[in-house]
Amino acid sequence: MRNPIEAKELSRTFGDLVAVDGINLSVAKGEVFGFLGPNGAGKSTAVRMLTTLLKPTSGQAWVAGHNVMSSAGAVRKRIGVALQDAAIDPLMTGNELLKLQSVLHGIPKRKARARCGELLETVGLTAAGDRRVGTYSGGMRRRLDLALSLVHEPEVLFLDEPTTGLDPTSRVALWDEVRKLNQEIGTTVFLTTQYLEEADQLAQRIAIIDEGRIVREGSPSVLKNQVGAPTLRVDVWEKDYNAAKATMAHFGEERPARKGRIAIGLNAGTRGITVVLKALEDKSIEVQHVELDEPSLDDVFADATGRRLEGGESA
Amino acid sequence: MVRQPQSWAPSLFFPLLLAAVYSSQFSKAVNLPDFPYPDISFLDFILPACVIQGVLFGSTNSATDLAGDIENSFMDRLLSSPVSRPSILVARLASAFVYGLFQATILITIFYIFGADLAGGVPSALALMFITSLLSMAVGSFLIAVALRTGSQEVVNSLFPLIFVFIFISSAFFPVELMEGWYGAIAKWNPLTWVIDWTRGLTVEGFSWANFIKAVGIVTAIAVIGVTIAIGQLKKRLAAAS
Repeated sequence: MRNPIEAKELSRTFGDLVAVDGINLSVAKGEVFGFLGPNGAGKSTAVRMLTTLLKPTSGQAWVAGHNVMSSAGAVRKRIGVALQDAAIDPLMTGNELLKLQSVLHGIPKRKARARCGELLETVGLTAAGDRRVGTYSGGMRRRLDLALSLVHEPEVLFLDEPTTGLDPTSRVALWDEVRKLNQEIGTTVFLTTQYLEEADQLAQRIAIIDEGRIVREGSPSVLKNQVGAPTLRVDVWEKDYNAAKATMAHFGEERPARKGRIAIGLNAGTRGITVVLKALEDKSIEVQHVELDEPSLDDVFADATGRRLEGGESA
Repeated sequence: MVRQPQSWAPSLFFPLLLAAVYSSQFSKAVNLPDFPYPDISFLDFILPACVIQGVLFGSTNSATDLAGDIENSFMDRLLSSPVSRPSILVARLASAFVYGLFQATILITIFYIFGADLAGGVPSALALMFITSLLSMAVGSFLIAVALRTGSQEVVNSLFPLIFVFIFISSAFFPVELMEGWYGAIAKWNPLTWVIDWTRGLTVEGFSWANFIKAVGIVTAIAVIGVTIAIGQLKKRLAAAS
């Protein structure tokens, strides 16, 4: 039995441009998998191939157990897709769009009616169901789009940049919806994003894609740990400075810090902090201020590509 | 349709306006010595042409909508669902036909209210409705091919004046017999002239199977060419997907 999403050396070129360059993927059942990368990294191209909208130039992919090329029809029946810039007719109401989507998936009318009501409830649009979509806010549209991609109870859900352009509150609300789906129904979710926080918050496992290649893959915490130990910064009274420095040196390599502050890379990882503080206390050194800096996914990205994802300046 | 009157109202309104203008401007044409139908009103003369014109105005709608679907990626939504691929084209052609029928019905009714006289009665009216709806689909199929090719509403809309040209250089509002020079020569070979002349035969002289079959034949021929091109373009577009 294949995993819900598998790709082997999947590639796509447009003329001279190699948009996706031989990616390998394996997403387990019930997983939320994040595909993180900057604009133009090849995220959407990869999603379009996995959702049968674009033919791969080479390589193979299986989604929901079926080959995306030789049995595209079977794949389409089993996937839900919410693409970037969701095509939603502003003149139709949420309810009508859900019914239309049910028709597209050949769901019997009676079943569709119940299902549409349920879905509106799930995404919190029951009250707005009979309003035209043109009157919806950006967040409501995305939630409707999510509902649309779920009418046929897909095994695998693809979300292409689900929160791009949303305000922070709507973003968090959408994350909650996706989590709920994943936890309550067990839907496997493949999401692309250019937001570090989104990948960090939502995905159990991520792949970082840059210039068409996957440069890192794993759970966010493992990836962050790979980049390096978290930095612990401690401020002490001047009289204790040398003693503290000597004590802390046992727990990790010294790192640059401003005057009067001691910084080390915690070898034991985040959990090592209590041990360090205990050791300082045993020496009767009073700690005035503590800071712990974990590497972010941005550090992971910078480590892999030499560039920063956020802010745009080079690392 | 109720929610978007701007998409269909103009294609009903303009043909009526033009009909009103033509019938007051050119109505004396019936008195010209070589006018082929001396015994009828000019309104009767231009009735089939006005219906055809109205329907052709509307024939861009289906293609514009399709191009819009491609532009706003509704097409992706369709293609990522298990919808049968040919239905994408069939639905658009059917919509062009039905839309033509809707327009023809309204235009004929309005002309009737304003005193136009259909020689062939109900059979002629039905024949006129059928021919014009088929024509709407036939012309629509070319535009649909363009929509599939370019995926751009702008390009589809920019072809609109071309339809105008086809109508004007035809027998729509003036008998070809009275035209001269290159204009008359083009009009004579404009397939639209044939459609209009045969259809006019039905409404002015009365219903005849010969005229009906000829008109349907030429429109079907146009449709076959257009639909063939559209199928080719659909295949091309789908070939990009798996």
